[in-house]
Amino acid sequence: MLADCPLTRFETMNPNLLANPIFRDYFNIHQSYGELLDDDGKVRPHWETFFATYSRLGEEEINGRNSDTLRLLRENGVTYNIYGDPNGLNRPWKLDNIPFLISKEEWTSIETGLSQRAQLLNLILEDIYGERKLIKEGILPMELIYNHAGFLRPCSGIRQVGKHQLVLYSADIAKSTKGKLWVVNDRTQAPSGSGYALENRTTMTRVIPELFDGLKVRHLSPYFNALRNGLNEIAPHKNLNPRIVILTPGSSNETYFEHSYLSSHLGFTLVQGNDLIVKDNYVWLKTMGGLERVDVILRRVDDIYCDPLELKADSQLGIPGLLQCVRSGNVSMANPLGSSVLENPGLMPFLQPISRYFLNEDLILPTIASWWCGQPQELQYVLENIKTLVIKKIHRSATGSSSIDGASLSGSQLEACKQQIRLNPALYVGQEKVEISLSPSLIEGRIVPQKVLFRSFLVSNQNDYVAMSGGLVRSSADATNFLISSQSGGFSKDAWIISPEPGRVVNVLKETSDSMVETYNDMLPSHAAENLFWVGRYTERILGNARFLRTVMQFLAEGNKLITDINRQTERSLLEAFTKYSYTLPGFAGEDADDLFADPWKELKDVLFNEKRVGGIKYNFLQFHKAIHEVRDHWSTDTWRVIRGMEEGLQNGIPLSHHGHMQMIHALDNLITSIVAFIGLNRESISREQGWIMLDVGRKIEQSLLVITMLRTNLVKKYSEQVEYNLQQSVLMSNEGLVNYRYKYRRPLQNLLVIDLLLFDPNNPRSLTYQVVRLKTYLQNLPKNNAGKSLTEYERLILEADTLLKLANKTDLSISDDDGYTNLEIFLSRLFQILSAIPGVISKAFFKHEMTSKTIIIR
Amino acid sequence: MKYTIHHKTTYTYQDPVSLCHNIARLVPRNSSGQICKNTSIRIEPKPDRINEYEDFFGNKVIYFSIEKEHWELTVNVTSEVERHHTGQIKMDVYRNASLEEIKMEIQNLKAESMDIRQYIFETPMTASNDEILEFAMRSFKPGKSVFEATEDLTKRIYNEFEYKPGHTTISTPLAQVMKERKGVCQDFAHLAISCLRSLGLPARYVSGYIETVSPKGVEKLIGTDASHAWFSLYIPDMGWTDFDPTNNCIVSDQHITIGWGRDYADIAPLGGIILSSGSHELTVSVEVKRTS
Repeated sequence: MLADCPLTRFETMNPNLLANPIFRDYFNIHQSYGELLDDDGKVRPHWETFFATYSRLGEEEINGRNSDTLRLLRENGVTYNIYGDPNGLNRPWKLDNIPFLISKEEWTSIETGLSQRAQLLNLILEDIYGERKLIKEGILPMELIYNHAGFLRPCSGIRQVGKHQLVLYSADIAKSTKGKLWVVNDRTQAPSGSGYALENRTTMTRVIPELFDGLKVRHLSPYFNALRNGLNEIAPHKNLNPRIVILTPGSSNETYFEHSYLSSHLGFTLVQGNDLIVKDNYVWLKTMGGLERVDVILRRVDDIYCDPLELKADSQLGIPGLLQCVRSGNVSMANPLGSSVLENPGLMPFLQPISRYFLNEDLILPTIASWWCGQPQELQYVLENIKTLVIKKIHRSATGSSSIDGASLSGSQLEACKQQIRLNPALYVGQEKVEISLSPSLIEGRIVPQKVLFRSFLVSNQNDYVAMSGGLVRSSADATNFLISSQSGGFSKDAWIISPEPGRVVNVLKETSDSMVETYNDMLPSHAAENLFWVGRYTERILGNARFLRTVMQFLAEGNKLITDINRQTERSLLEAFTKYSYTLPGFAGEDADDLFADPWKELKDVLFNEKRVGGIKYNFLQFHKAIHEVRDHWSTDTWRVIRGMEEGLQNGIPLSHHGHMQMIHALDNLITSIVAFIGLNRESISREQGWIMLDVGRKIEQSLLVITMLRTNLVKKYSEQVEYNLQQSVLMSNEGLVNYRYKYRRPLQNLLVIDLLLFDPNNPRSLTYQVVRLKTYLQNLPKNNAGKSLTEYERLILEADTLLKLANKTDLSISDDDGYTNLEIFLSRLFQILSAIPGVISKAFFKHEMTSKTIIIR
Repeated sequence: MKYTIHHKTTYTYQDPVSLCHNIARLVPRNSSGQICKNTSIRIEPKPDRINEYEDFFGNKVIYFSIEKEHWELTVNVTSEVERHHTGQIKMDVYRNASLEEIKMEIQNLKAESMDIRQYIFETPMTASNDEILEFAMRSFKPGKSVFEATEDLTKRIYNEFEYKPGHTTISTPLAQVMKERKGVCQDFAHLAISCLRSLGLPARYVSGYIETVSPKGVEKLIGTDASHAWFSLYIPDMGWTDFDPTNNCIVSDQHITIGWGRDYADIAPLGGIILSSGSHELTVSVEVKRTS
């Protein structure tokens, strides 16, 4: 009776091990089979070694390291998005620092079993889209395939180059409480998780390297080398140096982090559907330098979304015409379109006979017992035993989970479920419920037993499949919850294969690695270019607005000031100018402005923290944040830390109970420092290629427009000398120009000189001239599609702005009449008009997103 | 009987189109009693790419793309088709088989008869409901042969539904057509197919044309101004028989088949994706002339 006296048994094994109080909860829970103990109640040797080290670290240290782990993951931006949850975007990834250990012996049988299964599924896939012998010979019922949403008739007859059609394969494996291994799910269309597995391993080795002491843990790198090889092998036309891209649905996809992580790790460009275009039966990547041919697409988009022309007509995630290119043999997909037909629990009962048929072998890894209701006897069995089964549909539905635990249904629900099955029996499968074995996990500082599901990853490599020596383990936070899935939360674990030998060695194919030296210079996808451009613009917009807002707040908050008409007039002018400057109209420029002037803080707080306030700081920050995530592989780890800091700063700023102005100014101080840090970090970490240029072009354009707007909203109206003085001072403060001014002119503020500093001074990094000169250089260096000598539209515009600035008569600009500084206003408005036209022109030339694709269907 | 078919489709765009991908299923396939002698296709502007192949159902597919800016697209198809209808349908025992007998025979079809059994499954466009099933049952009364019942179903759709172009679109759910009792040939074909499939019978959707210029003394058919659609039912040993619920008839020499599938989506005559921001206008004209 293990459950009654495990402690004593355990202690006889290793008296020190349990001395550590973090184990106190582990054996309180009844268990029959555990990963930790063998049948005789002895700690398995690899766990013993592991926990010897683990307990040496001590409870405090372990918990500290655990916090380190979570912080590192958060800072590295490791996230997981949950659909349908308003707070589900960019949820931090959770890693439990006790790994899942697999002994060498156990792994050997898993590895051969998985490899056999991959071979088998590959043969089934080839057959379904080829001869369909399995159906013709009655081994596989037609209804099981033809009714499956993943059976894509347009893909019939397509065969990609390479040894295997199934390039990537993933299996979820559970261990029963009797120690038996079961394959619970097959993932065959776009298996996710390998990037998270790699990130988990990287984090473990960084945060708790001591745990590896005394244990030889196999490396993950052979899998990723095999992945590179496998993708190279399917390149069309025997291209030895294929261009491989990762196709993602976009930044709100649940595993977007992984897409960008794999893109950086493997060096494959990350693209979305609208980055690609089909022309002449080939797929092309739209880049800054024009169209670049794509050979292999590693897709993370579900297959029916990949081609709106032939599959799902209203898909915005795909590439119209893609299947034509695949059919012509000009591009290969991993996995091929249509491979989701294998994600079919109804296949499980047929795998054994198919294995006999194709391989003349028995299945090495058993599948979970399943009954496909398309057959009368099986239907009968499922209906009679529904309470003890899990009911699944043969394909996953778009809306939520497709598994129902029969035991969880009430009487009437049970009847409804049975009725559903009877109506369409071929769509349902009953599956045995397996008691999953428990493995030690660290949850909230306690070691407790948790149910775990192990996801393995295989890739086609020459004649064989290579399995990752490790994998992604998910543990259920709720011990009673049978269905473990990432969507419903839970923890992840690293998986360690304990083995004295290094296991299979996979080298990156020689000829490929040599030719990799050739780099793609013009590879920046237009989509990335566009987002970098917007990151640049929002960076400056936030900075400009935050600085001006801070200046306004400081003026308002200044104590001990005489309430004079001058001050009151300055306040009003500043507030009105701020509203116009930040485009947060109506605000202090609207009809109700008088009410707002009475208590300006309320409105200012709204502009700062209300994320729905268009033009407000939080609103702009969210836009900035969105663009950042679209190009998340461009930011360094340090940059991520700064971004995370800004997020938290703005988040924590909101619940302030008293709207104390000091907190708001403090929040702005932090934001300004972070944005400046962000700019500085980019300057030293982003390579000076097109990515940088677009980012900086965005910044310079925004800075130009902001400085013009700043002058137009503050300095073109005529006020009393004292008010004008106050406004000039505020403008300089908001542009970090006060010190420069005093240093350069050594005299009191004057309109003429303020304008000179902010418009014409070529050495002031915030002056308009400074921006325009740099913009001119950038724009001249952008790749040109027309090799001709004529100026492009954007070059013409920037030249015009530059010339206007050079030819300006400064004295004329400082002349005022009753209407104010009319010359200055005309001059500024002309410049604004010219410069604000540049983004549209650049977008048309490089981003090419102004055209949206549209579906026409006629009847 | 010989026919010449002219089918012209024109898209006029409000804004220029920089790229378009299209799929046309406009080339008549050979089938029992029909030989397509010749088809010529003229596309303006000239496509940069044309791929021709057969789809899963054996229909002829033409993919084309135009990769330069254009404001208008015209697809002109001219086909010469010989129709040798085998005359009246074989009068044999199977014509009199009941629903139960036929279902049993279909159950016993060999595993390799996928070509037939694939047309039993419901598709989104032919989704059944209680009302549709009840509508079907009124024709499939006990003791009635499947053939007669299907003729009756065809007739009832003709009598009880109003042919009303423009009332439905391609995305109108079948349940709504059933409820409102109005539609066009596609809707009527889908309805009949849904009825037959809900009873477990294999039925397919046929796309084609009907004679537009009727010889003297022959009544002009409905659905002549564009491509037409009807349905086909499989009866073991008898094969596929086509019924046209829009014209309340069993299909004979006045119908020319382009191809078939499970529903409209499998055999849509022309569809595509354009890169453009504006709207478009569409005109279609069809002429089917007897040449001998």
